[in-house]
Amino acid sequence: MQPHLYDRIGSLFFLIVGLFFTIYSQSVDIGNWHQPGPGFLPLMAGLSLGGMSLFLFLKSFNIKKKKDFYNFFPEKKSWKRVLLTFLGLGFYNFTLPYLGFGLTTFLFIFYLLRFIFPQTWKRSLWIALNGSIISHIIFIEFLKTQFPKGIMGF
Amino acid sequence: MLEEIILGIQVVSQPINILFCFLGVLMGTLVGVLPGLGPTAAIALLLPTTFYISPVAAIIMLAGIYYGAMYGGSTTSILVNIPGEAASVVTCLDGYQMALQGRAGPALGIAAFGSFIAGTISILGLMLIAPPLSKIALSFGPPEYFSLMLMGIVILIYMASGSILKAFMMAVFGILIGTIGQDAISGTLRLTFGIRELYDGVGLIPAIMGLFGVSEVIINVEKTIKSEVITRKAENLFPTIKDWRESIGPILRGTILGFFIGILPGPSSTISSFTSYAIEKKISKYPEKFGTGMIAGVAGPESANNAATGGSLIPLLTLGIPGNAVTALLLAAFMVHGINPGPMLIPKHPDLFWGTVISMYLGNVMLLALNLPLIGIWVKLLRVPYPLLFPFILLFCLIGVYSLNFSQVEVTIMILFGLFGYLGRKFQFELAPLVLALVIGPMLENYLRLSLIISRGNPAIFIKRPISAFFILIAVILLITPLIPWFRKKREIITEET
Repeated sequence: MQPHLYDRIGSLFFLIVGLFFTIYSQSVDIGNWHQPGPGFLPLMAGLSLGGMSLFLFLKSFNIKKKKDFYNFFPEKKSWKRVLLTFLGLGFYNFTLPYLGFGLTTFLFIFYLLRFIFPQTWKRSLWIALNGSIISHIIFIEFLKTQFPKGIMGF
Repeated sequence: MLEEIILGIQVVSQPINILFCFLGVLMGTLVGVLPGLGPTAAIALLLPTTFYISPVAAIIMLAGIYYGAMYGGSTTSILVNIPGEAASVVTCLDGYQMALQGRAGPALGIAAFGSFIAGTISILGLMLIAPPLSKIALSFGPPEYFSLMLMGIVILIYMASGSILKAFMMAVFGILIGTIGQDAISGTLRLTFGIRELYDGVGLIPAIMGLFGVSEVIINVEKTIKSEVITRKAENLFPTIKDWRESIGPILRGTILGFFIGILPGPSSTISSFTSYAIEKKISKYPEKFGTGMIAGVAGPESANNAATGGSLIPLLTLGIPGNAVTALLLAAFMVHGINPGPMLIPKHPDLFWGTVISMYLGNVMLLALNLPLIGIWVKLLRVPYPLLFPFILLFCLIGVYSLNFSQVEVTIMILFGLFGYLGRKFQFELAPLVLALVIGPMLENYLRLSLIISRGNPAIFIKRPISAFFILIAVILLITPLIPWFRKKREIITEET
């Protein structure tokens, strides 16, 4: 992708954010210069962000094309690794109350080791098992953190 | 001052504080050595663990990570030509060349001794400057604070690598995110959508851990990382008399330069190391030899980046204003422990201030011991493959955030900020202005509104009061100068180098 496209996409995102805050500020009290209300700064900052985004968006049409072309992902498999890592994070967050700390931690480490930069099954299982046991000792036994126990009871 | 120093010694001599000082510098050296994990991410990761310890021990440990990382960063620069830290990039130029010539030992030695000297002198500077500055800051009112914060954000934007406009957008975005939650003046809830966790605003720790911890891992996950096999040995770590003669000037110059650059907002450690290198090259009798293994090219920058850490704590501890992402995190650490750094920090919490300052002396001694005799262990650590390391970094992020309030919402916030941070890096939107704005945004809003209320709606209050006007003037100058082609070119050169 070329730099101007990055700027264009980025500016559109911030334009939406700026507009959102500008519109939202109308629903709370903006106040006035004498007595600024809770909507005062969201309005000012929202308008500023919108304005700057618009400027960046327009400026992106002025960037010389076919210069500094670079891929969004550095390698062919990058997108898979990125996606799988985020899915792993989501999985941990979602399943923690149901499966409990020990099992979720074991599955999380095993999953990342096995599927992101694939390690052997044996190695992945061994590290995941040790990692979850050590985490249990540190966070539950030593630091007394109250993590959910889940269906397995640990 | 003697009484305060004795108080600091008493605080630091408690075994628990010595332990956390040691843990801090140990972790700092570790993250400094390991490329791809910096002090910002490490402090973000360890912040939740500090809930279980006293504020003094927490700040001692987190500060230890900060200056410890500067020591560790030079090891990989010299031995494998991979900077552990952005601040150690310039050390590669001559340090690695020295290693190739079989002089890795003196290079590592002078980096450690230079860092020690610089660290010690900068702490002295901190001790001398911070108390009177905090007394001056006691006279600041809301307009001065607003202008000072605005100037801080503008300087960070100015020093951002790449587009100023994009850095500005990130700062404004941070301010907007900072408005989420209950309004401190009227009590109105803003954009909370009935989510209890948002009533106090977007959690700083989930946001910062996402932006620096998660996104940093994701960026590294994209690439296949190969561990370099290190065959070079580091022997004779003590520099010769000739080495000392060539290095003492650069060390002292780097120290003074680094300390004063450190006080200014921005990535001071990195800027100071590059500036020190440029100065040493300029004043050297043999500038053409720089890049071929000149010890001055290691001694100056390494001293400068360490001195900058002491300097950068001054605005945080005296004014309550962080100048870069790491000190923004330290501010967050103060806040989660219910302490507001600023002019009242020294009178209200002398144990915390003087304990932290004195702990930095102790930490520097520990670092010298950790970095010279144990260099072999740090080098071995480089052999731990990243594919085995990253699941545990992510696990630490998840556990850290979840254990704050046992909330899945906060973990979701961390993941979302992780995604945002990842995309921000890819789209070349700098994260530091966002973090700074996120941390000081709510204070900035309060000071702005209070100033307007005091002045009955007259924005001229910011330029009528001399101190405030001075800060505003600097901010305006920095915003205007990039429009002038000569300044724009100069700025591009500086930011490209850093």
